[in-house]
Order: sequence, then C-alpha cells, then structure tokens
Amino acid sequence: MITIDNLTKFYGNNRAVNHISFTINDNEILGFLGPNGAGKSTTMNMIAGFLPMSDGTVNICGSDITKDPIKAKENIGYLPEIPPVYPDMKVKEYLSFCAGLKRVPKGKRKDEIDRVMGLLKIKDVEGKLIRNLSKGYKQRVGIAQALLGDPKFLILDEPTVGLDPNQVAEVRALIKSLKKDHSVIFSSHILSEVSAVCDRVIIINKGDIRAMDTIENLEKSFASSLVLHIKVKGDKTKAASIIEMTKGVKELLDINDEGSSIYSFAVQLEGDSDEIRDSLMSQCINSGISILEMYTDKPNLENVFIELINRPVKRSGLEELLEETPDESEGSSAEEPAEEKEEE
Amino acid sequence: MFPIYKKELQSFFYTPFAYAMAALFMLLFTLPLASAISHLENSNTLPFSFTEMFYSVILYFIFLLPILTMRTFADERKNGTEVLLMTSPVSVAKIVIAKFLANLTVYLFMLVCTLFFPLITAIKGEVVVSQLICAYIGIFCWGAMYIALGMLISSFTENSIIAAIIGEVVMFILLFVDNFANSGFISQFPKLQSVLYSFAAQPRFAYFSEGFIRLSDLVFFGSAVIVLLAWTYISIEKRRWNRG
Repeated sequence: MITIDNLTKFYGNNRAVNHISFTINDNEILGFLGPNGAGKSTTMNMIAGFLPMSDGTVNICGSDITKDPIKAKENIGYLPEIPPVYPDMKVKEYLSFCAGLKRVPKGKRKDEIDRVMGLLKIKDVEGKLIRNLSKGYKQRVGIAQALLGDPKFLILDEPTVGLDPNQVAEVRALIKSLKKDHSVIFSSHILSEVSAVCDRVIIINKGDIRAMDTIENLEKSFASSLVLHIKVKGDKTKAASIIEMTKGVKELLDINDEGSSIYSFAVQLEGDSDEIRDSLMSQCINSGISILEMYTDKPNLENVFIELINRPVKRSGLEELLEETPDESEGSSAEEPAEEKEEE
Repeated sequence: MFPIYKKELQSFFYTPFAYAMAALFMLLFTLPLASAISHLENSNTLPFSFTEMFYSVILYFIFLLPILTMRTFADERKNGTEVLLMTSPVSVAKIVIAKFLANLTVYLFMLVCTLFFPLITAIKGEVVVSQLICAYIGIFCWGAMYIALGMLISSFTENSIIAAIIGEVVMFILLFVDNFANSGFISQFPKLQSVLYSFAAQPRFAYFSEGFIRLSDLVFFGSAVIVLLAWTYISIEKRRWNRG
C-alpha cells in the first residue's frame, strides 16, 4: 500500500503540486489524469524519490521515501516520461545493467531479463544498440526496465506514448495483467486509456486534485446534468407542455422541427433519469403522442474531464490576477482552491 | 555500486574511447622522448629522466583528463538516465564513488600503457626503477585529484563539451597556481601567497619525482579527492532540489 500525504512542490514561487493526498491500494491500478503541465510528472517524480518534495510524505510499502530511500526504492519500478535508456548500450546489456542496479540476485538475472523481454516482446532486438531503435521499442525497453526485479509498486509515466495502436493494446493488456500482484499508478492524458485500464482515477490540474473516484462514480456524479433527447410525432405544443409538466424536467433546451410533424426535443433532467424517462414515456403515450426516438447523452469520462479541467477558467479576472502574483505567501495560496469551490 | 562501475567501464572499453585516450597519451609521451633523443649529440649516453618527461606531459595531460571525465554526469543528465540511477536502490554517494573508480581505472589503463617507454629503455639501457615507481605514484595521485575535479565540473552542466572546456580552464589555472603564487605581485602578501601555495600540486609532485613519498603529499591528494567527490555529491543533490 502506498500512502501519499499532503505532497507539495514549489518551483521557486510557482506551485506545481498543491497539498495532494491519496492512497494506492494493493492490486489496484490508479490512473493519473490531467492536461499537459498539470503536475503529473512532478508528482510521479516525487513519489519515485527523484525529486525532493517541498512538503508532505510518501510512504511506499511501509518505508518513507525520504527517511529510508533505499528500502522504499527497492519496491519501485519507475518509467519516467522519457525512457531512461543509454543510447550506446545494447538492449540486453542495458537490461542486465538495470537488473544489477535493482539488486536482482546474480543467478536469477538471466531468467528475469528473459521474462521481461518476453512480456514486452523485445526479444528480437536484444542485440541491437538502443540508439538505433524506434521510439516504440525504446519505450518498451523502458517499461521492461521498470518491471525488472518484479517490484511491488509500478510508476508508469505515460507508458503508451509513441507506440502504435497494436502495441498500445498490448501494453494496456500487460498493465491490466500486472494488477494481480502489483500496485500501479499510471499517468496519461488519453481518456479512453485510463477508462479502459484503471480502477480509480485521479484528475489533477494545476497541482490540485480535481476529482478522485472510480470511473463509474465520476460519471454518475455528473449524471445530474443529463440531457434527454426525444423525437416525437404529433402535436408540438401538446408534446412540449407534457414534457415541461413532467416531474424532474428542469428545462426544455431545444425544439427542432424535422418536418412531417416530427419534432425533436432536448430536455435537461434533474434527479433519477430512469424514472423521469419512464414517466415521460407513459405520459406521451397516454396523450397519443408517439415516441420515435429517445436517448440520453451519456456523460462519459471525457465530459467529466473537460468539466473538471475547465473549472479554473471560470475564475473572475481579479482572482486570476491575484493567482499570478508571484510573491503570494504559502498560506494564502493554500486557501485559494477552497474559496474557488465555495464560489462555484 | 558494482553494476554502475561495470557499466561505466563498458562504456569506455566497448567503444574506442579508452583506447584512443591511451594512444593519445602515449603519443604525448613520445614527443619529449623524441626531442630528448634528437638533442643527443656527441656523447654516447643519454642523461634523461622519466620524471622530466612526466613534467612536460602534464601540460597536455590536463587537456586529456577533462575529456575523460566530461561525460560522467553531463551525459546522464542529457539522456534522462539520471532518473534511473536516482530512483534505483543505490545511494548518490555510491553512484559518485562508482563513477570515480571507473574513471580511475581508465586512467590507470592509460598509465600502464606508458610503461612501454621505460620497458624499451630498459632493453637498451638502464632505468632507475625506484625513482620511476615514485614518479608513477605521484602522477597517479595527481590524476586522481584532477579526475575528481573533472567529475565535479561535469556534475554542474548538462553539456559535456562545456564540462570539458571549463575543466581544462580550471585545471590549467590549478597547474600554474604555484607560479602565480611566486609572482612578484602576490609575494607582497605573504599570507595570500602561502594560501595559494597550499593549493599547488606541482611542488608536491616534485617530491614524488625526486623519489620521496611524503605522508603530507599523500594526505594532500587524498583529501583533495575526498573534498571534490563530496562536493560532487552535494552538487548532484542540490541539482535535484533546484530542478525546474
């Protein structure tokens, strides 16, 4: 189990990561989602023990990364954003060096290297200089390096960047299979990837955690803003009044005339969408209006993501100016996100 | 620690790098030897000492050592492999020591190659072995100090060429610090002179070359190496803190 508590990073006066806390359970894949420059890589570098934190603690399987770094790092396999490979080494040579570095016992080294090369399908390039490999292969060598020694905790920073679609699918399947006996945190800005692989996601922007939940819950929490699309055949005003009168309908957003007395309505819902849909349907049928089509805009992770990420944009001009003032004290900057939420 | 040492040695010996360095080093030795022979006039014996050769070689030598050490940390940083070393269960101190030992090994290899000249001389003439051994110990100590210095400079930058150039300048200044200390201007301030003089390696090497192994000289080179390596360690740690 990995516990991250109150992790903060300042680059000079610039706050890159702002008091974030979360835990990663055993056998869990945690997705780390955010736009470019959100603080994903900084956070991962801190968890891996490469960057020192300005504040907070990281505890990896019982050892603190700052107090007992050697023991903590034994449990970490880390793939940084740029695969840490030596261009003038051969693949097998490089992996053997990494195995030594990660203290894989000498007798087991060969088997271990064969195992990870098999997993990543890089056996055919084992004798090639890394400098001559394509980006995808380099990336896979980087992942292989992280898996060496079978560490309990894997940190993968955008592991599928530079891979072709086929390899992306393979690497995703690999990460899923790692779940059996590892904890994985992996970052990405590709939403489909995160929703395909992860159990839980953390959405981060500008150093703040915007959301942390399972994907289903995230989608559900945004279900309150569901939009229902109904296509009916019949009298327009009658249909509109029925729809407006139905309990749970918040607002009639749009009416489109599609000819031959077919109208499509866009309706903003409030509350349990299933119930509203059923009552809408029965009322329409009772009034002799036939329903041709009915569907809701399913809020997917993408909508959730965009919604969450775009929140700071709503800030008033003055606040934004204050935010950018370089000599803000730590205290005031910590309070800011709280204020924001209240206003929204 | 050992894997890093091994990897560093591989990067020197699996490429032409170490051999080219050794060859260049030997070439530098030939120049004073050839010029000494060409000055051989009517006498049958050549009064000639290897320690003198070392003296003339040292000037070139400070241009070679930074090339050996320039990549030590600069390249790790540039390739992004620094992250790999830092996040593996090896302490930074061990990384520094492993890299120092690897550089020292290459340097030792270069020195061993120069044994070629005393060997040839021994076939045709006589070599004062004791003095030669002392001179080798002296130049080894000197080189170790300069390697530690070169590593420190390499840890400051991401660009290995800049590391080499700065290294050359700094080593050049250090080489002539005793000449500078003896200059008329500095001798007006005896305290400053003694401070500057205590940094000079050349007079200490002179003792070695004359066949003296003094504890104070060994302590000087040993402590210089330790201080420079400790500084390298601090510089790497500092860079982690200042990143971004």
